[in-house]
Amino acid sequence: MSTPMAAWLTLTKCEARMVVRDTAGLVVPIALPMLVLVMNASAAAGQEVPGGRSALDMHVLPLVFAIVLASIGVINMPSFLAYYRRAGILRRLAVTPVSPLLVLVAQLLVSLAQALIGIGLAFAVAVLGFGARPPAAAGAAVLAMTLSILALYAVGMVVASLAPTPNSAVAIGLIAFFVLGAVGGMFGGVDALPDVVAEVGSWLPFGATVDALSHAWAGAPVPADTIAALVAVTAAGVTVATVWFRWN
Amino acid sequence: MSEPAILVAHLHKRYGDVVAVDDVTLTVEPGEVVAIVGANGAGKTSTVEMVAGLRTPDRGRVAVLGLDPRRDRAALRQVLGVQLQEPYLHHSLTVAELVDLYRSFYRAPRPAAELLDVVELGEQRGTRFERLSGGQQQRLSIALALVGRPKVVILDELTTGLDPRARRRVWAAIDALREETVLLVSHAMDEVERLCDRVAVLDHGRIVALGPPAELIAKAGASSLEETFMALTGTEPEEA
Repeated sequence: MSTPMAAWLTLTKCEARMVVRDTAGLVVPIALPMLVLVMNASAAAGQEVPGGRSALDMHVLPLVFAIVLASIGVINMPSFLAYYRRAGILRRLAVTPVSPLLVLVAQLLVSLAQALIGIGLAFAVAVLGFGARPPAAAGAAVLAMTLSILALYAVGMVVASLAPTPNSAVAIGLIAFFVLGAVGGMFGGVDALPDVVAEVGSWLPFGATVDALSHAWAGAPVPADTIAALVAVTAAGVTVATVWFRWN
Repeated sequence: MSEPAILVAHLHKRYGDVVAVDDVTLTVEPGEVVAIVGANGAGKTSTVEMVAGLRTPDRGRVAVLGLDPRRDRAALRQVLGVQLQEPYLHHSLTVAELVDLYRSFYRAPRPAAELLDVVELGEQRGTRFERLSGGQQQRLSIALALVGRPKVVILDELTTGLDPRARRRVWAAIDALREETVLLVSHAMDEVERLCDRVAVLDHGRIVALGPPAELIAKAGASSLEETFMALTGTEPEEA
């Protein structure tokens, strides 16, 4: 006899299979951050920053992790949801006993697993290949990671809500990813940005993620304004998605 | 007197200025197979989508086994099987994976092997949905409509686009339904004549004829349901 839990587990398993079979979709969230890591790790590992940690720990790792989370949350997940809507899969599920909401939850969970795998792989390469160290404040790292995931996935839900087609979801997701990344220090660090842009970027989820993780790696608590920025983006994203998300 | 399996009373649906469904009233008794036929835009799909709870009527009442499709959504979904006009399924999952997925939604699902046997897809168990032919996709869609042992089945455009052999296989699958109530939307008059106890002819959102195929043919003085349809609607079935 089926239960809602069994249905949800089967659905999540199927979502995971769909993601694994979409090999092209795995390239950006796994390969791109790895490329950024490998290209920067050698030089950054030997560069000490104030506080006694390496630039690899303080700057490169937070940036790489932010790229993993943003590419999955802002590009991959919305494109899957937009495809499901376009292909009528959510509509088909609407005539079964399960709620299409379960698809959303399953997709979020699978995306989260993808993010953790991407981060785990990048961290393993950084530790084993370049001598990176774990965060000095593990609790702050967990908090930073959780808030960052929520904020970036909330942005992804906004993309999924506003994009009428799968292609437009990818396009909007890519634009959001690169804009958030650019003002958040993805292309050469925030020091190179005009002050106003850097300030705005630090409040947006990519920059706030880098900042929060950087503090955690340094052993410092995540600043209250960074937490506030991530929470505000999450709240705004969930509100917009709740109002605008269409099942068909 | 027992309650009808499907009750549609004075149903209205409008999209902007277009009246899609105009005062449609129809009952389907338990175990009956009833078809809704009509030209494109006659209101067939809108009607069955309101029965399935996918659209909200502007006016009128729908009940399936006494349940309101919108209010009693959870209870209805356990006893209603729906095959939509297009087979909307996860494209990269295999036949077996899709059957397992849909089985997990129901309290007492049919065994996977039995389902695949009914629609003759046992050999395609390991084939991804996107690699099935149109006919195979349609048959899988029918199998998934039957997976929860539904008491009422809605089949929209049952065999549209299928070759004659695939159509016969689908017909055999429908013939195998002995206890279910079936509401069928079709363009194919031969199919309707062969499968259905009664047929409702819809024209511009209104039912213009309702009864057993033989009775409608006799009333129209026609030699076939196709001729009857043309006489009632002024439309060639091929246009439909």
